[in-house]
Amino acid sequence: MAEEITIKVGFGDHFRDLTVRLQDGDIAPWQPDQQLDVVGQRKPRLDAVAKVTGTAKYAYDQQPKGLLHGKILRSPHGNADIRSVDTTAAAAMPGVRALLTASDVFEDPTARYAGAEVAAVAADTEDQAEAALRAIVVDYDVKDFCVTLDASMAEDAPQVGRGDQKNVERTSPRSRRRRRGGSGEGGGDQQALERMAAREKEVNAILDDCDAVVEGSFRTEVQTHAPLETHGSVCSWEDGRLVCWASTQATFGFRREMTSNWSPVGAQECRVLCEYVGGGFGSKFSAGREGVLGALLAKQAGAPVKLLLDRSGEQTSAGNRPDSLQKMRMGVDKDGSIRGFQIRSWGTPGSGTGGAGAHNDGIYELGEIDKVEYGVRTNCGGARAHRAPGWPQGSVALEQIMNMAATAIGMDPVEFRKKNDSHPIRIHEYDLAKERIGWDQQRIRGGAANLCTGVGMASNLWFSAGGGGASVLVRIAKDGSVEVRNGAQDIGTGTRTVMGMVAAEEIGIPLEMITTRIGDTDDPQGPMSGGSTTIGTVTPAARLAAHHARKELLEVVAERKGWEVADLDIRKARVIRNDGSDTGLSFQDACLLMDDDAIEVLKARPRRNYAGFSDTNAGVQAAEVEVDMETGVVQVKKVVAVADAGKLINPLTAESQVRGGVIQGVSFALHERRIMDRHQGRMLNDDLENYKVLGSVDCPEIDVVLLDVYNGKSNTQVMGLGEPPIVATAAAVANAVADAIGTRVFQLPLTPKNVLEAIAMKKAANKPGTKKGARL
Amino acid sequence: MAITPESGVPEEQRDGVSRRTFLKGAGAVAAVGVSQIPATAVGSVGQEADVDVLGPGPVPIRLRINKTDREVEAPPSTTLLDLLRDHHGLTGSKRVCDRGSCGACTVLLDGRVVDACSMLAIDAVGREITTVEGIGTPENLTALQQAFVEKDALQCGFCTPGMVVSCTALLAENPKPDRDQIRQGIAGNICRCGTYQNIIEAVEHTSRKGGK
Repeated sequence: MAEEITIKVGFGDHFRDLTVRLQDGDIAPWQPDQQLDVVGQRKPRLDAVAKVTGTAKYAYDQQPKGLLHGKILRSPHGNADIRSVDTTAAAAMPGVRALLTASDVFEDPTARYAGAEVAAVAADTEDQAEAALRAIVVDYDVKDFCVTLDASMAEDAPQVGRGDQKNVERTSPRSRRRRRGGSGEGGGDQQALERMAAREKEVNAILDDCDAVVEGSFRTEVQTHAPLETHGSVCSWEDGRLVCWASTQATFGFRREMTSNWSPVGAQECRVLCEYVGGGFGSKFSAGREGVLGALLAKQAGAPVKLLLDRSGEQTSAGNRPDSLQKMRMGVDKDGSIRGFQIRSWGTPGSGTGGAGAHNDGIYELGEIDKVEYGVRTNCGGARAHRAPGWPQGSVALEQIMNMAATAIGMDPVEFRKKNDSHPIRIHEYDLAKERIGWDQQRIRGGAANLCTGVGMASNLWFSAGGGGASVLVRIAKDGSVEVRNGAQDIGTGTRTVMGMVAAEEIGIPLEMITTRIGDTDDPQGPMSGGSTTIGTVTPAARLAAHHARKELLEVVAERKGWEVADLDIRKARVIRNDGSDTGLSFQDACLLMDDDAIEVLKARPRRNYAGFSDTNAGVQAAEVEVDMETGVVQVKKVVAVADAGKLINPLTAESQVRGGVIQGVSFALHERRIMDRHQGRMLNDDLENYKVLGSVDCPEIDVVLLDVYNGKSNTQVMGLGEPPIVATAAAVANAVADAIGTRVFQLPLTPKNVLEAIAMKKAANKPGTKKGARL
Repeated sequence: MAITPESGVPEEQRDGVSRRTFLKGAGAVAAVGVSQIPATAVGSVGQEADVDVLGPGPVPIRLRINKTDREVEAPPSTTLLDLLRDHHGLTGSKRVCDRGSCGACTVLLDGRVVDACSMLAIDAVGREITTVEGIGTPENLTALQQAFVEKDALQCGFCTPGMVVSCTALLAENPKPDRDQIRQGIAGNICRCGTYQNIIEAVEHTSRKGGK
């Protein structure tokens, strides 16, 4: 029996009524006029004390009795097949307790990049394990390789893959046959090619008819995740049951990988524990080969094994954000409307072809779009999801060509964006960003002096209201203690704390009275931390469970005291009446009235979301940079980040998420780049001193503006904020640099070399911008 | 022979072991790893009668950690970080880059910051070692740690112990640092989640209140 209610949705001065049919058992979203005691407060994390005192135990810190140390032998060759692996000498070495070859475990005799797993050893000490790796004799069939996009796309390029795999394959649009899992060849693809040709012709005609056409060819580099805690786990088999202390973004997914029938591990039972994880950023969804090898080494040795990657392994083999080459043409009319957009883009996800797409055709109303996308195989470590996969690199290209188009028709870039934006929240965010960055301030820009400043803007878009797949257990004990349990992990976003806050709000007690338990697959199911959906998935279940637990407690109180249950509520740990008067009963005393030891309520999140105010969350960012025209050094002075994420549960941690996204975005814009040795085929900067990430000295001032949006999509109406803030940052910085130096740098990162080259090119060419450019 | 400050080693052999004797020990470790020559054979080559050769096997190492003398047996090639983590269970200091470029293993040695991954445990003999566990406890946070909590100067928390140690040293040296000095103070510490601004605010907050 679904209940129909009318709620207010919106933000600021933009509220409207919405009729919602509540799913069975669900409760109404909080309303703007509702007084909330915990939700919306700036609450320090529940695990902050453990983290600042070093008492938080990560997978890396687990030291069960009899712990062995696991290490992985990696291929030194850019591209090879493994003919044989001789482990005889290694197996006989001191302290060696288990030994596996990757070709046996994964039934894959190839080593397609320098860093590919070849063998793994567990020994009493790390030194012994490393010594044993050195004693393994591998016979490689060494092949030619390609480690860069350009090398792989060259006409006479060596074959990266095996069999009939081509180096470059179209990934979008897909042919009908490919969509059904076919090879992409044959009749189905012929039809796709015809459709593509027709589309290209159509959009070309539109572009020919536009007042102005701008074009650009943008490049971004491979960015590694570099989470400080590397990937892997400590595994122990206890009476046939596998226990993994894993560094993971998906406790339940990790368990599935250990227990599925397709898994080389094939455990009957598995418990995954992950109370803390030292960063993931998308790279820790899968247990990975390191997880499988760790579990199997522990099984073979009959003892716990710690196998977490060393830094080189993390940098080469545990994922990255693919690079991109994006060629674009955009056609606009003088009134500022975008009429046509043509995109051809390439990116390498490693030896496969999927997952290297760039999201460069969204956010704005872009007219008729003709987009073709290709995956390029290289002999490099494979990509994994990376904080807003595909978005920052897509944004870097899209937002720059937006600026170029605005310039071509003499329109302010912000007004141009507004003209082509229909997002109900973002449209109100531009002016906030504009004002706080000082958009219209007088600046020395355009390369007019040795030190120039500039401003740039770009937008976010994300889709993170969450969904089904989480249950939360709330336990109110007779002694007044309250426990909230969910088995999913908190990767540093603050999920644990917001889950506790939502339960505290609903029960009517302060957060400090709540104990939260997370990161344990023996607890109720929870989602992986992906797509910024964790908070939107877990908190509605937490609120629902807390709601019913409180109701049960009040029923006990009403029965024991002879009061009317409908007249009772709990607020600030006091039992009160509907008129607000105190009953004289504290929450603690109320709990003592229970006959049983505890009230336990387990509730699942309703699977569906309501229509809500907006399906997406937005955001606008503006950056201010200073560029030294002589040295090419870019300094990001300030970033204004206007962000929205549905209802704000904890503004303190929400703000941290935005700051973190901005910092990684600035790092991507200025520094980050995987450097491959074209002669040896290896990653040269597989460490943390040559792979440069933004440090404290380069860190800009970050001004975060959070909008509190009652979006009505779930009973907590919160959306995740991990990914959206990283989408726009690098693009805003790139636009600011162009504003400062008076020309565009088409290649990220914005290193002194790339900036100086762009300045030199401008001086050499010194000709006006393109109009009606050549076809792609 | 236990390596202790009281071992009576000659003065030029600072911290209880000379570079020369250590290198011999380390050389033996490497040789065993590569070619499996028995350690005794390597150890005898060029050995001088008047020099004690340490290792490659475990030797007693006594360190003063967080105001307590603690002794364990470990190979002399053990880094200070591994000794703290694996032998003393002090896992607050993290191994992240393992080559002194990220600061996650930062500890204090006689009050000054060092990267524990990049020094040998035996080189810390006779020195006062302070790890994050020795700075404040969950029940008794320092003002700086409290400010870290309040300003949300942490996300995943893996860099946090190193940050806390670095900022503690910074405030001890300079109780009123300006923003640039704070930035410089943590320039050797990498945070991947992006908490720098919160850390700066936490240090400023602590400093304003005259705390440490």
